Amino acid sequence: MSDDIQKTTQELPAFVPATDIVEQEDGFHIYMDMPGVPKESLAIDLQENEVAIEGFSSYAAPAGAKAHHAEFGAGRFVRTFSLSDAVDRGRIKAVLKDGVLNLFLPKAEAVKPRKITIQSV
Amino acid sequence: MVIDFSTFYDLPREIARIMDEASRPLLISQRRSAYPLVNLAEDQDSYFVDLEMPGVDAGKVELTLTERNLTVQGERPAQAGRFYRQERGAGSFQRIITLGAPVDKDKVTARYADGILRITLPKAEAVKPRKISISAQD
Repeated sequence: MSDDIQKTTQELPAFVPATDIVEQEDGFHIYMDMPGVPKESLAIDLQENEVAIEGFSSYAAPAGAKAHHAEFGAGRFVRTFSLSDAVDRGRIKAVLKDGVLNLFLPKAEAVKPRKITIQSV
Repeated sequence: MVIDFSTFYDLPREIARIMDEASRPLLISQRRSAYPLVNLAEDQDSYFVDLEMPGVDAGKVELTLTERNLTVQGERPAQAGRFYRQERGAGSFQRIITLGAPVDKDKVTARYADGILRITLPKAEAVKPRKISISAQD
């Protein structure tokens, strides 16, 4: 039985989600369009210097209705990014809202700009 | 650099993406040209219009229903900051869906969840299929 489920999810078409990577004052934000993906079907894996995101869209046409025209369907969203040491891994945060994932990668304290005071001798 | 942008880094995936796009069914023909993407379905009582529009403030989406058309208008907010990669569109959008038969305007409902808006338009009583009883005459 569990094999069947596994097979179905594997057969969903895979999409590369449209992504914005933006640097803001507090760090980097990765915005990803994942329409139809509920929080329960989203997995974010952080391994060494790679972050892998996988989400399953549970979209289904209305039950019992006849489809006339289709431009989107259920699918699997997959994308992987590599991170540098400038990211503070311990404070990475993810928020999924209205089908958009906001992955926040804060800058590590060590790489934040700072003023260096000059010491007089 | 925080993220690896090397063109060739994702090469196997890029190839998979190109193959994937080439093999996409022709049914999904407007994929690139129209926004938001629309699915239309129908059952005995209603029409269903599903729109894929992630990251939209549902309160600011305007639905206008005229005799023959359903117009969906909205806006996707733009992000501020320094962009390393920008693939998501931002700005205002509009899409007009032509309805094949009259609908009951007062009973139209819309629900936004996980970036997908589903509009349910119950058909007008006049166009619903019905059984006609035959009265026998002796």
